[in-house]
Order: sequence, then structure tokens, then C-alpha cells
Amino acid sequence: MTNPPEFQVSSGGAIALPAVAVAHKSPGRLFWERFREDKAALGGAVVIVVLVLIAIFGGPLAANITGHPQNTTYTNMTDAYGVPLGPNSSFWFGADASGRDLFVRTMYGARTSLFVGVVASGLAVLIGLVVGLVAGFFGGWVDTILSRMADVLLAVPQILIAVGIVAACSTNKNGCLGGLLQPGLTVVIAVITLFSWSYIARIVRGYTLSLREKEFVESARAAGASNVRILATEILPNLIGPLIVYSTLLIPTNILFEAALSYLGLGVPPDEASWGSILTDASGLYDVAWWLMVFPGSFLILTTLAFNLLGDGLRDAFDVRSER
Amino acid sequence: MRKLVRFAAFAAAAVALAVLVAACGSSKKSSSGTTTTSGSSSGSQSKSVIGSGTFSSGTPAKGGTYTIGWEQSFGFTNNFDPTGEYLGNAWGLYSNLMLRSLVGYKHLPGAAGNQTVGDLATEAPKPTDNGLTYTYHLRPGVTFGPPVNRPVTSKDVAYAMNRLANPNDGGQYSFYYTVIKGWDAVANGKAKTVSGIETPNNSTIIFHLTKPAGDFNLRMSMPATAPIPEEVGKCFEGKPGDYGRDVVSSGPYMLQGADKVKISSCAALKPMSGYDGANGNHIILVRNPNYKQSSDPYRKNYIDTFKFVVNSNADDIFAKVQSGAYQDEVSSPAPKTIRQYATNSTLKPRMIPNVGDRTNYFTMNLTQPPFDDVHVRRAMNWITDKAALQKAWGGPIPGTIATHITPSVLYNGGLAEYDPYPSQGSAGDLAKAQAEMKQSKYDPGKTGKCTASACKGVLMIADTRGVDTRMIPVIQGDAAKIGITFKVRSINGAYTTIQTPSKNVPFSERPSWGKDYADPYTFFAELFDSGAIIKSGNTNYSLVGLTPAIAKKVGAKGNLTNVPSVDKDIDACSAKLADQRTQCWMNLDKKLMTQVVPWVPYLWPNNVFIIGPNVTHWNYDQFTDGPAYSSVSVK
Repeated sequence: MTNPPEFQVSSGGAIALPAVAVAHKSPGRLFWERFREDKAALGGAVVIVVLVLIAIFGGPLAANITGHPQNTTYTNMTDAYGVPLGPNSSFWFGADASGRDLFVRTMYGARTSLFVGVVASGLAVLIGLVVGLVAGFFGGWVDTILSRMADVLLAVPQILIAVGIVAACSTNKNGCLGGLLQPGLTVVIAVITLFSWSYIARIVRGYTLSLREKEFVESARAAGASNVRILATEILPNLIGPLIVYSTLLIPTNILFEAALSYLGLGVPPDEASWGSILTDASGLYDVAWWLMVFPGSFLILTTLAFNLLGDGLRDAFDVRSER
Repeated sequence: MRKLVRFAAFAAAAVALAVLVAACGSSKKSSSGTTTTSGSSSGSQSKSVIGSGTFSSGTPAKGGTYTIGWEQSFGFTNNFDPTGEYLGNAWGLYSNLMLRSLVGYKHLPGAAGNQTVGDLATEAPKPTDNGLTYTYHLRPGVTFGPPVNRPVTSKDVAYAMNRLANPNDGGQYSFYYTVIKGWDAVANGKAKTVSGIETPNNSTIIFHLTKPAGDFNLRMSMPATAPIPEEVGKCFEGKPGDYGRDVVSSGPYMLQGADKVKISSCAALKPMSGYDGANGNHIILVRNPNYKQSSDPYRKNYIDTFKFVVNSNADDIFAKVQSGAYQDEVSSPAPKTIRQYATNSTLKPRMIPNVGDRTNYFTMNLTQPPFDDVHVRRAMNWITDKAALQKAWGGPIPGTIATHITPSVLYNGGLAEYDPYPSQGSAGDLAKAQAEMKQSKYDPGKTGKCTASACKGVLMIADTRGVDTRMIPVIQGDAAKIGITFKVRSINGAYTTIQTPSKNVPFSERPSWGKDYADPYTFFAELFDSGAIIKSGNTNYSLVGLTPAIAKKVGAKGNLTNVPSVDKDIDACSAKLADQRTQCWMNLDKKLMTQVVPWVPYLWPNNVFIIGPNVTHWNYDQFTDGPAYSSVSVK
């Protein structure tokens, strides 16, 4: 009996296997193949793209289609007692308590909510990245001071302090800190960033502590690389993946934070739409005007869900050891 | 698996949201789950007539507890200390239940409720000595409650007045009494007692004035003039607000716990347990054991205990009133609540709108661009859609559209048809507004729109009540039609900001002003006299009559040249009596509306009260613009 061709035995007794071409897959390709298998994450990504388009174009487009500018009040959309009327052929989502088109306001609200969520998260990631890198890499008293700062911010009552800051900056047209913090979106973004960066800083610090002990860092140090070079070329690239994941997870948290501030009357000015400020209206009218809660609330839920699913998918795709 | 769990959680949240909305949207019951009845179980007729200010269902009986839900916070201006307390709702407690000033009222709705009567005094006297002397004789049988437990004397009234004159004791309306001889010396720290107040014996007090004041009896009806026992008051000298914890009653009710506090020394004096105003929680009043009903012809005093309870949730307040957990409320019913009661024949009698002697208005700062130009101020009056603002308040039940400064009831019906800025359906007149704007320096191109940069991003201070958020888009939309854009700052409790002249607030939608007593003087003097402009707690928001010297004193900045003044007009009117006085005030009202134009008045609010199902009698107190607590009863 002879062996099949794939198991031809050489004269030395070793099994000779036919040569097989091995395709090289980049980390990016590996990431994409794993990511695209996650249908939920893909769905989340599609929803986010749609939401971004709504944020950019949705408000003006909605105002154009319906013929109802964002802040124009329509007295015929409130009854004789001032209670808003519900959806009809002209006002697809009904009216808010002031008689404004809720559909148009909800579309504009996407812009405010996403803008605040993304910008505040971006700033928080930037600050957290720097602080976490420095704390984790240098250690010692630098780490102690920076870590304690982060701990304090995580421990303070965020809403109470947000109330104080927003109130202080809102009584003056020119804002506070010499005009650096303007009332409105600027203050809201600043407050959210203030309470978000420490979350990222702690994560980055943990990763940095681990990475600085790796052999490639040792070898870079042995080769004479400066600390800055090591941070930039050895440690930072290895943080990109986790940073993307946690940033994605931070965005919905900050969108909800903005909604909470607006709900408390501390967020965006009343003439700017945000889902949180619309929900403030709903709180007093939910039993007679269900549309005020359902439409912006659904968008808020959808946005939060989409970012969370995307973030989960990214985390699984980056981490080859994670279970599906 | 983890994703499925997370997805399922979100889906469940969405379903819960839909179920919640469906359940709440279809429910016709109050949140307490009980259905309201209104007098039907007693078999007697329940009725209230819109505007009558009364509700009656059977014969009132003594006894019971009357609980009042108070929205958001008490909001006291001086911590319930009568010397400085200026909150109208607090006056309702003082005047009806706790304090007896020399002059009082009948605690009725309408014109009868604004008539003065003797309360601590036997009568509201006529002046002698060419209007310069007022002599009051104290009614016998009026006794302080615990812990003082002795008859009220004229010296107690004098002590209260001296306390009011002392600038260190927190008085917020002492300016009304500067006509008393020697008042200014105390106010300026040059004397300890007011020389023009004389107490020849325990039952007589005489006031000597520097000039006639035709409304002096009305001024002596305000709570700060009520007697204060010096043995307690001395513990709070120089501590404005602190006496609010230990107010000694001269009326039918006292703070719960008053009989437990000791006055052997100031150190032994502890706060009465019935007062928790500092924490914003509750105030409990119980019967004053020393009160004699025979000494009081105007208070009925059916209830045994009054509980004023702060509740931050307006919806919950009205749900509790509807279920009977509360009997009354100090709140503003939302449009949906007004609709609920107005369209339900069972509930309707228990919603009682009352004509309030009050004006809601926008204030425009005469020193801040673009409102330093009278044409811009007139244009704002022309363009404002008052009908939409009325709707924001809930329609015609909560108020009628205002067309001038003071409600006509204070002119005995005068100026009822006067409207210097009429428009179709009170919706504003764009053409007239633009015509006015064209005359403004801020419209150099005569386009009818304010084109100068001073008109862009103008600061508007607003409050955070539901009605404010409903009004803001209307105001912005109207102003935009004449080229003015606002940058809105919403502040919880906006009064503190707009009452500070140094903040130079150009515009605010928040203000509302009610009479201190039934004379237009209490509008004009406090709101438009330059003497009323103070550093904090200022109520002349528009800064009418501001001079550079006053501006420097209070820190106001802006265009200080030629700020119009009506000081001479106010002085002239306040010296007049009867019909001449009324006519003078009406002329000043017209002058303010057409020549000075500091405001856009938009609503004369009715005070809408909603009462619980076991209330058997209720009527409005026209003086305090609130419930006549001394007349309510429950079954």
C-alpha cells in the first residue's frame, strides 16, 4: 500500500508536506474580518452613520420639508388651554408645549446631543490620554498626584457641581473665567469633559503600567530612545485599540449626561433643541402629550444602543482572546 | 451572548417606555388611584362661580387639619421674619392667622376685601392736624400667644415700628414709613427710636407725619407693623431673618411648639418646632390658646391645625389635592390641570379663579441698548403677541391680557378700556412695530428692523418654571420680527439676578408685581421711583429715574444720560386724596405707557386655586391675593 500524495515519506523518514502559500493578513484586515461577523455591531455602525447624517442635515432638511422653522410657535397647535396637540399630517411628531414642530426640534436635537457627546468625549479622551500616559509611565509622585486628582473627580457629586458651575456662568452674558466659558454649549461641554476625563485616565494608566514592562519597551530604552519617543512610538500605538473602544462607550454616557443637564434646566439654552430639553417638557405633560416623551426618548435610546453595540463590537474585534 | 443580553435590555426599556406612555396617556384617574367626588357625598350643593372667589358646600364646622402643598420652596425673602418678609404668600399666613396689625381687612374677595377695618385697633382712624396725625386706640382683649402670654400694648407696636426703621433689622419696605417724623434719623443710624411715634398709654399710639399721606392707614395694615414683644425681639436685633423661627403670635394661630420655648434669656430661646422654613420643609400652625374670638369680628378660624408642606413636584401637589391628601395649594396649575378641571363638571367647582391685583410684565432696562431708545421699547409693546403668552399661562382662566401698568380694579375700574398698543386679537401689530422701529437710532436704514449690533444677542434673563420655557419662544419669535435677537439665560430664581442693578440686565420676562395694599402708590413708588433703586433687592428693574450719582452707588453702568424720571409725578399723586388721587395715578399710568415705556405688561393674572374634595368653605382674600385661611373649613 502506498501513502496518499500528501503523506509522502522522504528517505529520512520525515513526512514531507506540500508547500502551501500563506496569505499575510494585516492587523487591520484581521480586525475587519472579526468585526464584520458581528451583525449587531455593524447594525450599530449603520445607525450611527444615519444619526450623524441627521445631525448634519436633518434639522434644516426637516424645517424645509415641513415649512416649520425650529423656533417658530404655532398657536393653532395648542388648544384653548395651551396644551400641545398631537401628530397630524403637518406636524408629524406633534407639537411641543410652546406650539413648535416636534419633528423639526427632534432632528435639531440630534445635532446638539451628538455634538456635545462627541466633542466632550473627544476632549475627555485627549485629557485622559495625556494624564494616564504620564501617570502610568513615570509613576512615583507624579502618578500619585494625577491619580488622586482623578479619584477626587470620580468621587464628587457631579450633578451638584454641574449645577453650581452652570448657574455661575449663566448670569452674565459674557460667561465666566474671563469669557472663556460662554453660557450655553461651551459650559455644558466643559462640565461634561471635567467629569469624564478621569474615567479614561484610569484606563490608560492601567494599560501603560502594563506596557512599560514589556520587552519592546525595554529594548527601545536600551537602544537609547527618550521617554517621549518611547511613549509616542511604543506605548501609544498599543493604546489606540482600547481608546477607540472606550471612547465609543463614553459617547452615549456623555449624551445622557447632557440630556440630564438639559432636563434639569442646566444644559443648552431654551431656544436650542436637545433631546434632554424636549424631555423636560415631557415630564410635566406625559399624561396628556405622549409624543413629547416617545419621539425624543426613542432617538435617545436608539443612539445609546447603537454606540454601545458598536463599542462592544470594536472591543471584541480588537481583542482576539475575547469570547463571542 | 453578551450582546443579546444588552440588546434585550434595551428592547425591554423601549417596550417599558411605550407601555408607560400608553398607561399614563389613557388613565383618567389621579395618580393616587382614587376618583374625585365633589360635595356629592354630602348631598349638598357645591358651587363656585368663576370670578366670585368663593366656594361653599354646606355649613362650615370647626375642626380638622388643613394641609397646603407649597410648590418648589417657600421662597421667603426674609426667612419668615415679619419685619422684612415681602413674599405675598407669607402675608397670607400673617394676616389671616398669626399677626394683628393696627389696621386689617375683612378677608373677603373683591372690593370688600380691600376695605380697611380696625384689627388690633378699634378702627382705621381719620387723620387730624391737617392730615399729619393718626391716633389709634387698641382693641381690648388682644393677647400675645405663648411663650409671651400677656396683653398686647401700644409699646409693642412702637417696638415693631422701630425695628422696621432700623436698617440692621432687615426691613424691606420701610420706605413706606419715611413720612413719620424721626424715621430717617433711625434709618441713618442717628437715633434709636422714631421720635414721631408716641405711646401716651398702653392702649393708644399716635403717629406724627412730616407730610400728609392719604393712604397711611393702608400702610399700617402691612405685617411689619404688627406688634412684636420686645422681650423676644431683643434677641434678634441686628440679625435680620432670625426672628422668623420664633414669631410670637398676636392672632388666632401660633407656630406649633411656641408653648415649649423659653424666653428666660436669649440663650434659652430655641426655634419653635412648627417652623422649618429654613430647610424649606414645613410650617405648622396651631390654635393660640390666648386668642379671644370675641375680639375679632372678621376671622372665623374653623380649622384646628394648618400644615404648609413644601413639595417640589407640581403634578404631585395637584394629584394630592384631587385625592384629598392636601386641601389646598400654593402653586400654579399647569395648562393641563386647568383643562382637566374646566372640562369636568364634577371638578370644575373646585377650581376657583380670582381676580388678582397683579401685573405680569417684561422689564426693559432704560440704560441698556437697545432699550435705551424709547422707540425700541414702544416697538416691543406693539409686536408682542399677548394672546400667545396668555395661552402659555393656560388660556383666559389664569389671566386676562394686560394693557397698562396697574390693574383697573385699583383705579376702581378706571382705564378698563385703555390700551395704548391695540392689535387684532392682541396678537401684536407688525406694521405699527416696524413704523416705531424706523424712528429708532438703531434702525439707521429705516427698514423697520433693528439692524445695529446692539440688537443682536441681547441678554434676556428668564426663570425656569414651565411657563417661562413656554413663553420664551414666543418672545423670541416676536422680537425677531423687528430685528432683536435674545441670548436667553434661564436661572432658577431669577429675581435675585434682576434685582441687582450692577448686573445691568437689559431684559427679563420674569417679573410680576402685586399690590402691597389697595392703592396704586404700591405699584408706582416701588417700581418707578428713583428712591427705590437699591444695590440689591431692587424692584425698579427698568431703573426709571436713575441718575449718575445713584448709578455709581448701586454699580449700574450703561447709557446714563437723560434717563426719564417720574419722581415728581409720584410725589404729587401720593399727596392727593380720594378721586383726585385715583385720577392722578391713572394719568401717570398713561404717561408711563406712552412716554417712558419701561415695560411690556402682558397679563393680569387670576389667582387660580384648586381645593380638595373635603373642603366645605373657601374664599379668596383680596388683600393677600391668596386663600382666606381664616375662613376655610373642612368636613
